[in-house]
Amino acid sequence: MKVVLPVLGLLALIGAWWLATIVFGVDSFLVPSPADVVASFLELPGYLLEQTLVTLWEAVAGFGLSIMIGVPLALLIVGSTVLERMFYPLLVALNAVPKVAIAPIVVVWFGFGIESKVLMVVLVCIFPIVISTASGMKSTPHELVELFRSLDAPRRHEFFKLRLRHALPQVFVGLKVAITLAVIGAVIGEFVGARAGLGYVIYTSGASADTSLAFAAMALLAVISVALFYGLGYVEKKVLPYA
Amino acid sequence: MITLRGVSHSFGGVHALAGIDLDVDEHEFVAVIGRSGCGKSTLLRLVAGLLTPSEGRVEVAGDPVVKPRRDVSFMFQRPALLPWRTVLSNVLLPIEVFGLSPRAYRDRAHELLGLVGLGGFEQRLPHELSGGMQQRVSLCRSLIQSPRVMLMDEPFSALDAITRTELSEELQRVQLELPRAVVFVTHSVDEAVLLADRIVVLSPRPGRIHELADVGLPRPRALGQVELDQVSRELRGLLGEVTA
Repeated sequence: MKVVLPVLGLLALIGAWWLATIVFGVDSFLVPSPADVVASFLELPGYLLEQTLVTLWEAVAGFGLSIMIGVPLALLIVGSTVLERMFYPLLVALNAVPKVAIAPIVVVWFGFGIESKVLMVVLVCIFPIVISTASGMKSTPHELVELFRSLDAPRRHEFFKLRLRHALPQVFVGLKVAITLAVIGAVIGEFVGARAGLGYVIYTSGASADTSLAFAAMALLAVISVALFYGLGYVEKKVLPYA
Repeated sequence: MITLRGVSHSFGGVHALAGIDLDVDEHEFVAVIGRSGCGKSTLLRLVAGLLTPSEGRVEVAGDPVVKPRRDVSFMFQRPALLPWRTVLSNVLLPIEVFGLSPRAYRDRAHELLGLVGLGGFEQRLPHELSGGMQQRVSLCRSLIQSPRVMLMDEPFSALDAITRTELSEELQRVQLELPRAVVFVTHSVDEAVLLADRIVVLSPRPGRIHELADVGLPRPRALGQVELDQVSRELRGLLGEVTA
């Protein structure tokens, strides 16, 4: 049932899409039918998979980097009121800037290669990770904090053995939000300036009105997002079996 | 073991405690009763080193208390167990935090869990246990510190009446087997009379020692004993004065 129902949902969607293209007689360069999309994938399978891997790698690298930066940042924010007051508003402001607006500047700074895409991913991912980690750590029950204090526990114990561990379920909520944003961030970067990746494929196919190729690339993006999201869910189940 | 001299404490202008003088002997069980907000918990936190008195001095084993000590354990109203840790590793938490080897204390932890009737539950998670069992685990976690002083902040108040009675009788047994200095804060007069050598009655706002009563009944005691009820009645009278 766990697999059957999502597959049924997908098939229903594809069926409706196909039916719509036939019933309304839509031109395939406006809305291609599922068959057109599959055909266009089968024309260039190697190339498309290569571009998929590029985007996947950008998203995963940026996501990993976001964890490596975001979690320590959350620790600092929770650990020091001064740092929190200084940098929390900046973080909110940074998140409020539309990422699409930053992307061209990021590309100017870091070039057409993978670096600018990874940075875009970090920019979209880091906020939910910092917020969820920090708020999870802050919501540690008072009696547990007092227990650690009564044991005269070193600060690092209070942070790692208690607060961060307590925050884990919430950290995963943030990670799940972030992982879906990661793919979006990578594609924004590729739109603005790239030589590879699914975003680049969509951008160039739009220019040549190859709509079914663009749809094939979008379908692959969806596949990456879903795979990453459920992969993360699997990791969560392993790490937090009882949550 | 514990000495308080002229101890006062206020939080932002509110006087919680005023002029407390109290001595607790090495193996003495002292219960503190009083209405809510009379500074009972503040008193415990001062002895624990979680708070610093505004005035006066607090000493444990002859040393002024400046921060929490390893030989002073604190038991809370709620079990305060880490939900992701097994019973055993919850009991071993203080050892870990002290930087000692948990392995060296495993046998001791098993022994303590056996003492409170939790043998066989070592690998369970806290949420699989009843409230009473959780509080027993918390008691073991206090005992693994081999404390010279045990501070207990209404440890049974969140439990149902039956479990509460069971646990107070169990605590009496533990105190007979492993005697130490205990300060036990409670709302329940009966619990105080069952367990304590001496009972401190606090009057509220600011908390002062209204009466220091010797219980002086032989042990083991049992709830419902006529002698206990008599002492309880007298204490309720005292508490009535405090309330008025």
